[in-house]
Amino acid sequence: MTPTAMTNEQSKYPGLHPLPPSFVREFPPVAVVVEEKCIACDRCPPLCFFDAIVMEHRSQHKYKRTAVVVTENCTGCGLCFEACPVDAFEWVPDKTPGAGSSKATGESERDLSA
Amino acid sequence: MLLTTSFVGLTLQSPVIVASGPASHDVNQIRLAQEQKAGAVVLKTACSDKYAHMRSWPRPRYKLLDWDKQIAGRSKAFSLYAYEQGYSGTLADYWQFIRVCKEHASIPIIGSIFADEAQEWRELAMKVEQSGADAVELDISSPHRPGSLGFETTFVAAIKAVVGAVVIPVLVKLSPGPDVVPQSLSAQECGAKAVTLCNRLRGVDVDIENQRPILHGYFGGIGGPWAKYYTLRHVAEAAQAVSIPISGTGGTMNGEDVIKYVMLGATTVQILSVIMINGWESIGQINGEIEQYMTRTGISSLDQIRGKALEAMTHPDEIIRWSGESKKGPRNIWTDDKTAEE
Repeated sequence: MTPTAMTNEQSKYPGLHPLPPSFVREFPPVAVVVEEKCIACDRCPPLCFFDAIVMEHRSQHKYKRTAVVVTENCTGCGLCFEACPVDAFEWVPDKTPGAGSSKATGESERDLSA
Repeated sequence: MLLTTSFVGLTLQSPVIVASGPASHDVNQIRLAQEQKAGAVVLKTACSDKYAHMRSWPRPRYKLLDWDKQIAGRSKAFSLYAYEQGYSGTLADYWQFIRVCKEHASIPIIGSIFADEAQEWRELAMKVEQSGADAVELDISSPHRPGSLGFETTFVAAIKAVVGAVVIPVLVKLSPGPDVVPQSLSAQECGAKAVTLCNRLRGVDVDIENQRPILHGYFGGIGGPWAKYYTLRHVAEAAQAVSIPISGTGGTMNGEDVIKYVMLGATTVQILSVIMINGWESIGQINGEIEQYMTRTGISSLDQIRGKALEAMTHPDEIIRWSGESKKGPRNIWTDDKTAEE
């Protein structure tokens, strides 16, 4: 169920956690919950500003519930990574139609002297 | 009723306004704000077509600093480091956004725009007015823009152009810093009906393991509960200088903070981080805390306390001072530990 996510070491896009993965040039990143890690603490759904995290029932899960990211709503803002006390979030490529339309910002944006 | 506030000709049910940002980019959020009895909502800033790249957002764009995950942000201090951009849709979407908000919401809707040429500012502001917004805020201070546009060179002309073209009140949102007072005065002269003080500071944090700035390697807008002490001062200084109302914003976490802003002369207070961190209920909670304070102190309107702390502000020359000299003798003799023991 969990698609392959990049680890921090593999990322070519350094920064503090959460790190966007190296596939960011190809696909915009989107968050996903590693369900085995989730402790069903209910902290991420209220912190998500895009209604992109819901709690779902899982009869096999240790806590009977898990957080699930609704990919269509996720804007990849990274706030859920901050909410999670057990680091159960990972980045995966966002292949939702329309998500790939994000453009790289102009050079002026990168110019620190500006 | 206690909280009813009159601001730039609008009657607000509360002085608490949802600031422009991620809490006002979607019509359903306006509904939530209204349910929580927010006074008004400033919509997310729409950028002119020249700045269309600001409609796409980097991922991720938030980082909470000084934040304890284990206690889920119940720490009283944190910093929200954000590379937040503009409204994500086209301008046509934005006009529709305003129309839908106006159709369904009863609270005032304040549009927010950004451009560079005065002509574009005017066009955007006129469209905001035509779409039905109750006021327009000129976001001349976002912490994420290249920063090459000067206040005197660009924004004075922009404010004049907008004020001359629309009937709805014009708010000007300024950056924090030493220019707050002169820029507020300048905005007032140009005909702005209010100033919003202040936008977030532009900051940076460094990832020392990778030896580079965090996130995308550029400055980010940084705010948090600590930021209120700076904006409270800016509000206090500006309130003494200008006669137009001030909308204070920065670091407001509870009703007490709102009262502090009001006591220093602000008419309304814009909040955002607290909604992001503690949820939409925090608007209702803040309203409740203000009401409790008003009931406890027996005041019937915030007008009764507006600027009270300002009146009590002392001139630095009047602060009583005492001798700072050591009573034991001269302080310019270096004494090592041995001598001290003797």
